Amino acid sequence: MPQSPISRDERSAMRASFRKLLDRHCRPADIRRSIDTGQRFDPDLWQAIADLGLPGLLVPAERGGIGGGAVDLEALMEDAGAELLPGPFLSVTVLSAALLSAQMEGFEEELADLASGKLIIATALTGDRGSWTPEGVTVTAVETEEGWLLSGSASFILDLEAADLLLVAANTGEDNALFAVTMPDASVKADRLTTADLTLDLGRAVLDQTSARRVPGVGASEISAALDLARIAIAGAQAGLARHMLDETVSYLRTRVQFGRPIGAFQALQHMAADMLVAVENATSAARAAAEAHDANAPDRKALVHLASFASADCAELVTSQAIQMHGGIAFTWDHPAHLYWRRASAQAQLFGSPDWHREHYLRALEAVS
Amino acid sequence: MKAVDIARQWLAARWNAERREPRSGTITDWLDLVLDAGWAAPSWSPDWWGRQLSTGDSRDIRKAFKAVRAPGAGQDLSNIVAAMVMRFGSDDLKREVLPGLLTGRHRQCLLYSEPNAGSDLASLQTRGETCDEGYRIHGQKIWTSGADVADLGLLIARTTPRSQRRDGLTMLLLPMRQAGVDVRPIRQITGESLFNEVFLDGPLVPTHYRLGEEGQGWTILRAALAIERQIMGDGVGEGARTKRPHQSTSLINLLKSTGKLSEPALRLETATVLAKRHLTELTQKRAQSDAAAAKVSRLPSLAKLAMSDVLHSEARLLRRFLGAESLLDGPAFPVAAEANYRAANAYMTSIGGGTDQIQRNIIAQQILGLPRGDGS
Repeated sequence: MPQSPISRDERSAMRASFRKLLDRHCRPADIRRSIDTGQRFDPDLWQAIADLGLPGLLVPAERGGIGGGAVDLEALMEDAGAELLPGPFLSVTVLSAALLSAQMEGFEEELADLASGKLIIATALTGDRGSWTPEGVTVTAVETEEGWLLSGSASFILDLEAADLLLVAANTGEDNALFAVTMPDASVKADRLTTADLTLDLGRAVLDQTSARRVPGVGASEISAALDLARIAIAGAQAGLARHMLDETVSYLRTRVQFGRPIGAFQALQHMAADMLVAVENATSAARAAAEAHDANAPDRKALVHLASFASADCAELVTSQAIQMHGGIAFTWDHPAHLYWRRASAQAQLFGSPDWHREHYLRALEAVS
Repeated sequence: MKAVDIARQWLAARWNAERREPRSGTITDWLDLVLDAGWAAPSWSPDWWGRQLSTGDSRDIRKAFKAVRAPGAGQDLSNIVAAMVMRFGSDDLKREVLPGLLTGRHRQCLLYSEPNAGSDLASLQTRGETCDEGYRIHGQKIWTSGADVADLGLLIARTTPRSQRRDGLTMLLLPMRQAGVDVRPIRQITGESLFNEVFLDGPLVPTHYRLGEEGQGWTILRAALAIERQIMGDGVGEGARTKRPHQSTSLINLLKSTGKLSEPALRLETATVLAKRHLTELTQKRAQSDAAAAKVSRLPSLAKLAMSDVLHSEARLLRRFLGAESLLDGPAFPVAAEANYRAANAYMTSIGGGTDQIQRNIIAQQILGLPRGDGS
C-alpha cells in the first residue's frame, strides 16, 4: 500500500465525522437490539458509513477509493472499538479492499462497488482450526473446462451472512490462491456460528464443487499482507475498547459510594486502575507504531504487527475483565454493558492469529536481528 | 539549520568520536567548553548559559552528544539540582553555583528521605533553625546517593517550628564539606554502597543558598521528584562504581547465551517480557512527541512504574533461564552474576524515588482523578 496522501487535517475531519456517525448509529440501544433480534447487519449504519466513503478508505484514489493507509485506519478503529462497531466494516474496508486492491484485472467493477459501499464482500481465509496461516486453508481448487471449482470448508468467516460476494482462499495443489464466489450460492452451505461475542456475524461455509472466479495476482503473500492490515485494525480497536472501558470504570469508581465514600478512594481499586492505564497507553503506542511502520514500509513492521496484536489482546483482556470485577455486582448482570466489551475483547484477541502465535513470531523477528 | 545539526557540527569539530575524547584539552576543559557554548542547558536563557531552545531540541542535542559519548549536554533535563537552582534560586546563587553544577566541579546529592520519613516524606523532621547567617541544620537523612563525594546537597527541611506535614518546609542548598555533616555509607542488597546516611549536627546553610521562599519547600520538592522519576522511567540506572562485564548486554543476547532460547516452554514468556521494554520505549516516544507538540501528556508519569515492571520481569526471566546456575555468582559465572545483580537492583526502581505503590496512588489520583482515601 502506498503512503497515505491524507493530510493530518483531513484525517482529523474524517475521524470527527466517523465519531458523529458512531454516536448516531452505534449507541448501546443499537447494540442491544442487534443482540436481541439476532440481526447482525444494520443497513442504516452501513449506509451512513458508505456515505462517508469509508468502505474505500484503503482503496487507491484512482480506483474509486480514498487512498488512505494503515495510520488512517488505525485511528478510526480506536473509535470503532470503543463503540463496539459491528461488521461488515472490517471485512469490507480492510480485508476485501486489501485483497482486491492487490489484483490488477478482472475485478475493477467489484472494487469500485466495494468502495461505494454497494457491494458487501467477506473473506474466508482459514479452516476449522482458525489459524489464519497458509497451512490452515482447507478448501481446494480444481481447474476444469467450466472453470475453477472449490470444495472444502472454511470457518471463522466474518460477515458471511451479510456478504454479496465471498473471497475464498483455496489451495490449487501448487499454492494458495484467492477465488470469488457470488453469494448466496446453492452449492455453498453457509451456517452462522454461535459465538461468545453476541455482536459478531461469524459463519462457516462448506463448498461442494462451487463455481468460482480466480482473483489474479493474489496468493499467500497478498493474503498475509491483507491479514496484517486486519491485525493492525484489530489492535487499534482493542486499544480503543480498553481505553473506553477504563474511562467507564474510573467514572464508576468516582460515583459509586460504599462505606461512606466513593469506592475509588480505596487503594486496591486505585492500583488496579493505574495498572490498567499503563496497559492502555502501551497498547495504544504499539497499535499506532505498527500502523506507522506499515505505511513507511519500515524493516521492523512485521515485528510491530505481532507486538501490537498480542499486547493489545493482553491489554483488552486485562482491562475488560478487571472492569467487571471493579464494578462489582452490577456488572454481573446481563443488562450492564461491561460483559459485551469483555466478550468483544476476547473474540478480537483470537481473530487473525492467537496471542501466543503472535508471541512466537515476535520472538522470531527479534532473534533474526539480535 | 536545525539546532541539533548545529550541535552536531560543533561536536564534530571538537570531539573525537572514535577515541571518545576531546580533540584537545581535558574532560574538565571540555565541560567548560560545553557550558560556554550553551549546550549544557540549551533550553535556558542565554543570560544563564543557555540557547533559549525548546526541551525537544534539548533532548535531541543530548542524544547527539550521547551518540558519540560526549558528556555535558542537555542537563536542563537531567541535572536536578541545577534545574532547581535555575527555577527557584536567586540570581546571586545562580551565578555562584550553576557553572560548577553544570561542569561537575560541584558534585551533588539529594537529601530528602529520613529513617522515619520514606513514602510519607511529608512527616520529615530535619529542621533548619534560623540564625544570623542563614539556617543551622539538625537531623538525619537517608538513601542519599553520592553524599560521600558531594559538594552540594539539595536539602528539604522544616524551618517553621512545630509546623505539620507539608507546611513550613523549605528547600535549601547545603554545602556538604563542612563540620557537622557526617556521611556514613549504607550497603545495598546488590553488594554496592551507593547510598548513605547523612547525620546533620548544625552545619550552616547561608541565607542566599535558600531556594524559593520559606514554606515553599514541598512545591519545589515535587518539581525535583518529577524530573527524577522521568529519568528513572528512561531506565537509566545509577552509575555503578564498578563495571560489570555484562552490564550493557541486551536481555535477548543474555538469554541466547544460556542455550535455552529454543525451548518451547520458555519462548512465550520470553516474548511477553521482551515486549514490556519495547512497549515502554514506544510509549516514551509518544510522550516525547506530545512534549515536542507542547501537548499536556499523562504519559511521562507512567514511565517509572512501567520501567519497574520491565526490570523485575527481565531479571526474573534471566534467572529462570539459568536454572541451577542462577544459584552461582562471581567472575566465574558472569551471566549468573549479572542476573543476580539485576534482580536485586530492580528494587532501586520499584522502591526508590517513590515506590510502585505510591506511583499507582499518584497515577490514580492525579491522572485518573480518583479521590484520596485513608492513608494515601
